[in-house]
Amino acid sequence: MGPHPEVRGCVLLLDLHYHVVDHTWVRVDDDGTVTVGMTDVAQNLAGPLLHAKPKKVGAVRARGKPLATVESSKWVGPVKSPVSGEIVAVNGKLAEDATIVNRSPYKQGWIVRLKPSNLDEELAQLVTGEAAVAAYRERIESEDIKACEHVEGFEA
Amino acid sequence: MSDEDPEGKKILVIQTHGVDTPRRTYSPLFYAMAAAAMEMEVLVWFTMDGTNQLAKGAAEKVKLDPTSDVTLKTMLEQALDADVRLRVCQQSMALFGMTKDDLIDGVEILGATSIIDLALQADHVMYF
Repeated sequence: MGPHPEVRGCVLLLDLHYHVVDHTWVRVDDDGTVTVGMTDVAQNLAGPLLHAKPKKVGAVRARGKPLATVESSKWVGPVKSPVSGEIVAVNGKLAEDATIVNRSPYKQGWIVRLKPSNLDEELAQLVTGEAAVAAYRERIESEDIKACEHVEGFEA
Repeated sequence: MSDEDPEGKKILVIQTHGVDTPRRTYSPLFYAMAAAAMEMEVLVWFTMDGTNQLAKGAAEKVKLDPTSDVTLKTMLEQALDADVRLRVCQQSMALFGMTKDDLIDGVEILGATSIIDLALQADHVMYF
């Protein structure tokens, strides 16, 4: 067991805010922007990513709208925004090697950075800390989501 | 990759192949889901042999990757979850002895000439 809580081997970071249904996380940055990515559960469900294509810088996204399209050999779908805002940065590493999301879903594999437009209200609708672990445990167990497998070099 | 903004564009996918050619069943649905993920309006029209993959009990028997738990049924369900609309040609169904009771959930039956309107309304049509 590592330094972070795990549910069926799926790592969760206590200081992030989660949209459990859409499998996304939000980190509130010091400069007022937020960073968004896919959770360890999401990367495990998708399998090794072949492509991850974010929307462009400048795109204004309402909560729930896609920030990116990701595809693996067995699945393709949107990364839905957990909060509303304008995309101010996209992760350039995704175009080089989308598996960075599988290898480092919470750090190097971030998807976009947003300037949020309604952060306080929307953050309150996400879960964080132990509440996030409990919410994810409930989902993982009720849907019998398979245990997370991590590629070599995985970092939480 | 095109710089054209895909959001809101309409894609029509025409699927003429079914369970007798299983290797032709996954990709059209995958492309449909990719388009839906990019916020396009996507409709898959099943006609000719494409009809038979929509019969109850048929899709789960198609499994292209023996190491995966994904079947054609999984692909169809994922497409519906992604808001891809599935439509089947009424006349094709009749030709192959299928009734609405044979169809899986989530598929709407339309008359054959609906394809004309659908094609005219679509921004792009993909044929399989």
